[in-house]
Amino acid sequence: MILHLLNRSPATAGTVDDALAAMGPDDRLLLIEDGVLGALPAQASLFTGLAGRLFALREDLAARGLLERCAEQANIVDVEGFVTLTEEADKTVSWF
Amino acid sequence: MRYALLVQGGPYSSQASHSALRFARAVVERGHRLDTVFFYHDGVYNAARLAAPPQDEPHLGDAWRMLHDEHGTELLVCIAAGLRRGLLDEREAARHGKAGHSLEPPFELTGLGQLVEAGLSHDRLITFSP
Repeated sequence: MILHLLNRSPATAGTVDDALAAMGPDDRLLLIEDGVLGALPAQASLFTGLAGRLFALREDLAARGLLERCAEQANIVDVEGFVTLTEEADKTVSWF
Repeated sequence: MRYALLVQGGPYSSQASHSALRFARAVVERGHRLDTVFFYHDGVYNAARLAAPPQDEPHLGDAWRMLHDEHGTELLVCIAAGLRRGLLDEREAARHGKAGHSLEPPFELTGLGQLVEAGLSHDRLITFSP
């Protein structure tokens, strides 16, 4: 299982499409930095195939005032959870 | 586990350095070994010896140095990326006839081979880019 990190907003870059196209059936996606904008309900349709495998970083959501505005499908993890996700994955790929 | 980080974003121009530092602290807090941080592209500016940000702002260079002092983390700077951007240690400054040096230990100028080595020898390599 590979952990994919995405730091671009889906509203401003096509990077999310590349990441999603490269993901295997068990891979996980963690949204960080501006990538957390993907956790908003308006972007939820992008990630419908990722049930239980979509994560967003709490600290970056909080820094943008979005902590209470996330779609339910996004699992919110803090930086300790980020470390755990890297432990559980065989490797990590960053998309930027 | 042994962790390595790759930092490719410049300080104060993208979030990459701050994200990497926050992750680095969480890694050692968890009890893992953070053996290597490799600075590449604009990330090499993290190693600037003369950086003097305002005192009420985070000092990224000092924070990396503290990580080295407390946890033995190697701070490796790509020499090709560094020389292009004016980041030279004493030896390189002398070799290029420069009046002063802009990089000093614990940061070390190294080749890209060290990044490949880090990817092979550590359990995890996490990339933080702009």
